[in-house]
Amino acid sequence: MPNDYDSKVSLHLDINHGLDRVTELVQTRLIESGWRDQVKLACRKAILENGDKHIPTVDELIAQITPKARSMVPDAVKRELLHELELILTNIDKSGYSKSF
Amino acid sequence: MSAKGCHHLQGFKKDHKNLESLKWIHAVFVVANTHSSATLKTKICNSYCRTCKKRGPFLHACLECVFLGCHKHIREHMKNQKHTISMDLTYGQIHCNSCYDYVYDAEIDEITMDNKMKCGKFKKRLFEWTSWDATEEERDLLTHRTKKICITPESTIGLRGLWNLGNTCFMNCIIQALMHTPLLRDYFLTKKHKCNEIPGTCLACTVSKLFQGTISASTATATAALDVLHRHCYDTMPKNAIAAEKKDKCPCIIDQIFTGCLQSDVVCQKCKGVSTTFDPILDFSLDLGPVPLDGRQPCSLHDCLERFTRAEDLEDEKILCSNCGSHQVSTKQFTMKTLPIVVSFHLKRFQHLKNEIEKKISTLITFPEMLDMTPFMSRTKHECPIPSDNRYSLFAVINHIGNSMSAGHYIAFVRQQHNSWYKCDDHVITRANLKEVLDSEGYLLFYHKHVLRYE
Repeated sequence: MPNDYDSKVSLHLDINHGLDRVTELVQTRLIESGWRDQVKLACRKAILENGDKHIPTVDELIAQITPKARSMVPDAVKRELLHELELILTNIDKSGYSKSF
Repeated sequence: MSAKGCHHLQGFKKDHKNLESLKWIHAVFVVANTHSSATLKTKICNSYCRTCKKRGPFLHACLECVFLGCHKHIREHMKNQKHTISMDLTYGQIHCNSCYDYVYDAEIDEITMDNKMKCGKFKKRLFEWTSWDATEEERDLLTHRTKKICITPESTIGLRGLWNLGNTCFMNCIIQALMHTPLLRDYFLTKKHKCNEIPGTCLACTVSKLFQGTISASTATATAALDVLHRHCYDTMPKNAIAAEKKDKCPCIIDQIFTGCLQSDVVCQKCKGVSTTFDPILDFSLDLGPVPLDGRQPCSLHDCLERFTRAEDLEDEKILCSNCGSHQVSTKQFTMKTLPIVVSFHLKRFQHLKNEIEKKISTLITFPEMLDMTPFMSRTKHECPIPSDNRYSLFAVINHIGNSMSAGHYIAFVRQQHNSWYKCDDHVITRANLKEVLDSEGYLLFYHKHVLRYE
């Protein structure tokens, strides 16, 4: 298994369902703030702009939309996510791994 | 998009074994059933890219051999090994390398849906929101009522004064506070109350109409009103729903919004045995008189709550301890097991003393706009690694003006549209600001949970 710090963090997130919680939170907030609809619109626009000649693949679409989509994430969502991650990471050494196994 | 995927995928699907392994990978890595620790272990120990040893981003699994890779390396693997079909492990989408795009297939969708339905916990990322399919009646309304209302900070929609019908200012205040309870308002405006009583006899229906009327155009009382409303809600619920929920909690809207659970621990001073009882709680009555121990008067809501949740000696009577079986001096402590969505605090400004005229305590009690209830929660043995969010924000304050309970007037401050405040004095409604609200005396304080979580 990989064992650098990044992996320790993501392992911690996986084991204590932290990642699930965070993804659910971000998902909810992005939908609430209308971000998802905006991104949907941007994708639709990008497909239409290409015209009939070539329909972009999902990978191409991701490459094209990602920078724009990232910049559209509301600051409040970023702050809340940061806060949530801080809470989780301060507990990284407290909770044992033995619980769920 | 066609319901059938590309011909590469059709070829892949012909082998039954392939579908079996697809289903297994989807169940373990995408859905990750939390009930089974073995599954979870398999997922956690294997979720990393075989090339760069990182846990993402966008981990995919090759469906033709045992290989997991991140977005970049799975594509490399597919190209080098000439494999075709892979699956994204975040959402479970199928990628065909020959078409070089994700493909949709109705049959695979059915398999994955089956897995999703079996997952123990509701995971929103796996389910799309179901789109709203308007009924005939709704479509009719939408086409014929096209008048639009624009809501700006200046608009007064939802604000309505109430006439004083002779000493009814207390009731007007309570109605104003309830009308501006966000969740209660949403409940009644979306017509969630389904009535099966004789028309004209149901209080909840009347309240529902009152809420709708508002838009188109004191504590004993509050608790009593809630209580009556609660009983009505309960009586009018479909009978089978009651039977199903009886063991657990009353399913009505009032209980869902206003009822918390109070934990009281009685500790025997001899054997230190603890007996714990749980009681539902609708409102918090907080004492304002001098604290018997240090004689200091509470001066903030936080002080009052600290006093409410402090261990208290039961000096007057000896309690039978169930642990050591004798009558002993004990202490009693209240803590919050669960908090309701709306917390209402009643500051006991009226003192009832024997042979004396009741006196009003006008002590200044400061209360915050944002209140964190975490310090007053019960401590549990299994402490959650991630603290829960117990922040509450103020949305209504009811004040009593006058010197005694038998005389005076009640007015209410209510919050509208997040941060505008209004003063409701019977039929007169004027704009107010937050400072004015926080500087007011305060008799009943209503706090609403700041962040609502899905259950």
